Amino acid sequence: MIELRNVTKRFGSKCAVDRLDLEVYPGELFAFLGPNGAGKTTTIKMICGLLAPNSGSVRVGGFEAATQQARQLLGYVPDQPYLYDKLTGREFLKFVVEMYGLERRRAVQRIHELIDTFEMGDYVDELCENYSQGMKQRVVFAAALVHDPTILVVDEPLVGLDPRSARIVKDLFVSQARSGCTVLMSTHLLAIAEELADRIGIVDRGRMLATGTLDQLRRQVQHHGPLEDLFLKLTGDQRPAATGSLPSESEPELDSPRLSR
Amino acid sequence: MSLALPEPKPLTLPPIPADQTARALRQLRWCLTRNTVRSLLSGSRLRMSMILICSAIFWLGLFALFLGGFEFIGMNDELFNGIFESLFSMFFLSILVMLFFSTGIITYTALFHSREAAYLLTTPATTDRIFAYKFAEAVGLSSWGFFLLGSPLMVAYGLTARAPVAFYAMFLVYLLSFVLLAGSLGAIAAIAVANLFPRRQKFVLAAAVTGLLAALVPMGVGLWRTPGETLSSDWLSSVQNRLAFCQHPLWPSRWMSAGLLAAAHGDWWRAGYYLMVLSAHGGLGYLAAAAMARDLYFRGYNRVQGGRSARRRVGLYALDAFFHRLLVFLPRPVRLLILKDLRTFRRDPAQWSQFLIFFGLLAFYFLNIPRLGYAVQSPSWRNLVSFLNLSVTALILSTFTSRFIFPLLSLEGRNFWVLGLLPLRREQILWGKFAFSVGISLGATEILVFLSDLMLGMSPVMIALHVAMVLVLCLGLSGISVGLGARLPNLRESDPSKIAVGFGGTLNLLVSLVFIFAIVTALAVPCHLYFLGQEHPDSTRLALSHSGFRFWLSLAILTSLAIGAIGTIVPLRIGIKAFQRMEF
Repeated sequence: MIELRNVTKRFGSKCAVDRLDLEVYPGELFAFLGPNGAGKTTTIKMICGLLAPNSGSVRVGGFEAATQQARQLLGYVPDQPYLYDKLTGREFLKFVVEMYGLERRRAVQRIHELIDTFEMGDYVDELCENYSQGMKQRVVFAAALVHDPTILVVDEPLVGLDPRSARIVKDLFVSQARSGCTVLMSTHLLAIAEELADRIGIVDRGRMLATGTLDQLRRQVQHHGPLEDLFLKLTGDQRPAATGSLPSESEPELDSPRLSR
Repeated sequence: MSLALPEPKPLTLPPIPADQTARALRQLRWCLTRNTVRSLLSGSRLRMSMILICSAIFWLGLFALFLGGFEFIGMNDELFNGIFESLFSMFFLSILVMLFFSTGIITYTALFHSREAAYLLTTPATTDRIFAYKFAEAVGLSSWGFFLLGSPLMVAYGLTARAPVAFYAMFLVYLLSFVLLAGSLGAIAAIAVANLFPRRQKFVLAAAVTGLLAALVPMGVGLWRTPGETLSSDWLSSVQNRLAFCQHPLWPSRWMSAGLLAAAHGDWWRAGYYLMVLSAHGGLGYLAAAAMARDLYFRGYNRVQGGRSARRRVGLYALDAFFHRLLVFLPRPVRLLILKDLRTFRRDPAQWSQFLIFFGLLAFYFLNIPRLGYAVQSPSWRNLVSFLNLSVTALILSTFTSRFIFPLLSLEGRNFWVLGLLPLRREQILWGKFAFSVGISLGATEILVFLSDLMLGMSPVMIALHVAMVLVLCLGLSGISVGLGARLPNLRESDPSKIAVGFGGTLNLLVSLVFIFAIVTALAVPCHLYFLGQEHPDSTRLALSHSGFRFWLSLAILTSLAIGAIGTIVPLRIGIKAFQRMEF
């Protein structure tokens, strides 16, 4: 499981994460939501051991984050994934399994499975520098899963994926969670969170505003609309100003050139 | 608020063997090297051939220079025995300082700012393993130039001193140990800076450079004021005394020079002793750096990433307003494009620092011309040196235009969705780049060439000729880089250095070199023959009389103007046509 207790992280005078508590349990798919600059990526980086908290504790599978044991358990897909341009997708996957010390036969089988799952057979033996964004993203997902992590942390998972790949990834998240893996997913796509997550956490200005299932969140906020409205109510309590000038849905402007064309 | 949950029990994990990650990283390095070499061989043969040929020419040129110099010194036995230890100590001390800084800077960037390091830190690799992997890369990048410079030096010395064959094998081991020691010290400094001054690396670098200058300037002034006639034995002896600090027994450079000289003379006991001292310190330095990385790398990474916010405001808007007023004769959209490029140039130290270093070194050399005694040499000698100086200035300018101007259009292509929507004709974008390039180039090179001619005591007519030549060269080199940059863009690459070393960049450099050669040769040959004829009217068959000189010089000026016009207009026209047809 992932466990953050009273975690604070400051960047100079700016407090990116403010006394944050969070638990994500084995077998659970947790969606981490928040506006830009809310502290989601900073929190994820602390879970992955890339940043250390100023105070509080971050534990992964019972180990302090940033220890070798914690990193052994973790599969991480960052918002801006890194691939070696001069490696092929297959060579990159081999490097990852070698790094995690997988037994050779098991590693070959696992790589083969993931190439099939993510439909990478056509390009996996080409250099990564020739891949499109979506191809890269699929290789990175495969690399995060190739060592059978017990905890999967994903920052903005569907960026650059076509609808078919997005479907594969979404199914995979659910199957990982159902097989006992702890899945933490940060996203701006509220529909994805609504569709997949067992629990949702909404963070703003580094503080956890609400956590729970969608029903629990609705009860907490006393708002029974869609997640989008609930999110906006929690993080700003009003619609963004830009929507104010749009005509209401029930009364379209019939004179507008777009509609009258 | 902390939650009162029971402490979860950690999972039991089989530990990853210590050498497992090291093996994975070794295989990664091997795969990356193999694939890079394959890509180079299959995709950029022209570039590879150019690199190999230029390296070979550079090596042979250095070797010939060193061999000639050493043989000249070797004519005087007394000088030969005394001066080499001093020369080598000074040379290796300079290299030690340079390797320390370059490895330190590369290690800092590789460990604390690269995306690869961020990725590796999420894997089970320990921090000292990651350090070892990145350190090898940093040392390779920082020291290849030293091997290219040091090997012809040592081979030339070995031949001059008639050294035994084992000397050549030994100096390689010496070079490796020396590089390891200097690199380790640089890496220790890099980790210390990240831990003590996170996100203040520029301040630390500036302080270090200031400290270095504070040490070097008094020494330079001291050398400048060395009494006696330049290159006389008294003068040399005084210079040696002033540089005696280079031979302090605690300097690794001293161990290097003393050991190599001993090996060249077959004194194996002494050579082995110094090699052991050097390699032991190199090994110790590396161990210290690895231990420091094990304990402080993550802490430093966290401090660098978690320091004050990277967001900052940029100023100097008064400078922008000044340029706006200065370029008022240009159409406003073109002016705005130039201003955008100027801002990018100003805010990217990688661009202006290289520009400043190369042209600063040239300016330093030109200022030292009187000290070297060139100004009192014969007119033909001064004329030759003035053209050589002009050529060097143009060559450095061509590397600048190839490295920074050529990629501009490729980089712009990535942002074309912005530019494409502006109320501009496409060719105006190219004219903006051209004006930017000519402006920057002219500003630097005209001053330098004027300074060189002034220091050489050239006549006003020759100064005017050189200044006009520089104008033609700047226009041509800018036209070539902008035109070819538009004709052969690389829209997939975001790194300008990679664009510059691709096929288009290499071709751009080659065309620029041919252009410089054509312009300089056309004007230098009649001038040289004229000045030579003035000194030796009877002995030089091809010497030009005054009237002959006027005719040939006029012809040369017309030829160089024609070459300049072709070099400027043709590539620009090709570029404009290609740019107008280009789809983004």
